[in-house]
Amino acid sequence: MSRVLTIGSGPAGLEAARCVAELGYDVTLIEQLDRLGGTPEIERYAKLTHHFRDSEEAMREMITAVTSKPNVQVLPNTTVLSASGEAGKFRVAVKNGGAPQEIEAGAIIIATGFQHFDPGRETQYYNYYSLPDVITISDLEGMLKDHAVLRPSTGTPPQKVAFIQCVGSRDRQIGNEYCSKVCCGIASKQAIEIREQLPDSQVFIFYIDMRMYGYWEPQLYWPAQEQHKVTYVKGLVSEILPQGDRILIRGEDTTMGRPMEITLDMVVLSVGMEPSEGTKSMAGVFGVEQNQYGFIATGGASGIDPVATSRPGIFVVGAAAGPSDLDDSFSTAGLAAVRAASVLRNGGK
Amino acid sequence: MRAWEAGKQADCYPHVAREEKERLFREIKDDERYTDYLYGCYECGICVSACPSARFYNYSPRVIAQAMAREDTDRVYEILIEDIWNCAQCFSCTRCPRQNNPGGLVSIIREVAVRNGIQETRDVLQGYSRVIYKVMLKGNQVSPDMLQPEFFADWGTWVEGFTKNMREWRRAIPLESLRGVTDASWRTDHKTLVELYTIWFETGNVELIREVDEGLYELLKNTMEEELEDAEDED
Repeated sequence: MSRVLTIGSGPAGLEAARCVAELGYDVTLIEQLDRLGGTPEIERYAKLTHHFRDSEEAMREMITAVTSKPNVQVLPNTTVLSASGEAGKFRVAVKNGGAPQEIEAGAIIIATGFQHFDPGRETQYYNYYSLPDVITISDLEGMLKDHAVLRPSTGTPPQKVAFIQCVGSRDRQIGNEYCSKVCCGIASKQAIEIREQLPDSQVFIFYIDMRMYGYWEPQLYWPAQEQHKVTYVKGLVSEILPQGDRILIRGEDTTMGRPMEITLDMVVLSVGMEPSEGTKSMAGVFGVEQNQYGFIATGGASGIDPVATSRPGIFVVGAAAGPSDLDDSFSTAGLAAVRAASVLRNGGK
Repeated sequence: MRAWEAGKQADCYPHVAREEKERLFREIKDDERYTDYLYGCYECGICVSACPSARFYNYSPRVIAQAMAREDTDRVYEILIEDIWNCAQCFSCTRCPRQNNPGGLVSIIREVAVRNGIQETRDVLQGYSRVIYKVMLKGNQVSPDMLQPEFFADWGTWVEGFTKNMREWRRAIPLESLRGVTDASWRTDHKTLVELYTIWFETGNVELIREVDEGLYELLKNTMEEELEDAEDED
């Protein structure tokens, strides 16, 4: 059996499919929606973190790199119903439109990604559902893409904007104790874009720690602070309240050692990552273990394998395994492709 | 509660017009050294940990860099009035990973404060009239004999005992130059004085003093001009 089944068509799924195909094996890529591209496509990302590449253009290239391969079969509008078998010979029942179909595959790569934390779900402190000018980083992406960063309440450009970091991340009370890894970079990237699109605006980022590993430092953090005059304040906001037709936030400026109250035009919540519905349901269908947060557990026999699930022959890539940036998604995709190819070569051994 | 609005600290020197604070901040930022002295601030505190003044006074080089990087005009004004005089200008703070130079920023702000003849600046410098007088006329103002250890807590507790027997300690050092230092350190030769006074005039330092102490200015100016005239007569 020389086929790999890849589930999900975001950056990780596309890259995994491309790599498997380039290794010379057949790939079936299934996607539940009618179009490929995953979250960057659905949420209309403007530019990618951290390279500032136009998202639509980058995704189009990635999609074409997959669909142009003769040994790739793409099945949009397709969901997985059930699976049986083992490494080297899986049988997966899918529903393609109305018609059920069975796919035989030697290895499976799950790339079903994440969804953003819903800031109204467990805590109402931030008034996401009651104040129109409180938005999330994913809401803002579309505005940036359209070059229309406007206060939803008035349709006018905001003069003062603040990002609040770690919303739905690193919080024992919410249950998401992990860092979502990308929001520091995304907020800094978006802050730069706001300052470029609205040069008269003032932009704040309220944070616990800025996690700017590797080159994000010179690519995002330093330019945001030094060239674009984004104000970083160490301290989280406890309350977001209406103040006339504007917004009042309360918190502590911990490094200056004083309480703060700032009146703003718009607040952007840097919502973290949670496992997507697809990730949770695929864990069930394929019988792979999930970690306590619902992401697909990795580690394998060595304990440190980032793409091995609890079942041989089934691999997980990108944010289905936990918070990931694009570098992580590409790295795990390539690794899983090699692993899947080895399973096919060795007949599941 | 002192509510802070970034870039607007409501109850900090409220009698001073915002335009005036902005004008002074602009003058600081217009200094050609400014962009070399300030990048962005990590708020890591390495400058504070290296700063001798921060150990003994309510002073933080981090706050200097941070307030300016955040363009917190009101805090910068407060710094101009208060904080800058707690800096010893030792530049230990330049070990900053972002290559900021809070001590250098303090130098710029001090110059702006003096140049603008701010009343609080004049008051602060009042006590230094004698220091300025000595530095300007003799090239230095301090000699070890004058120092009163109780004024310098940061020197440590051993200094007081050491100072008591200063003369005996000095005798142990076989160097003539360390005896009678008060006298020796203020003995400046004529050629040096002429060069020194020429520099003070040429660099505008004499005029700077006029902004903070008119009387001292007159005294210094007259003494220096006399010395320079004598020098010309000799030529």
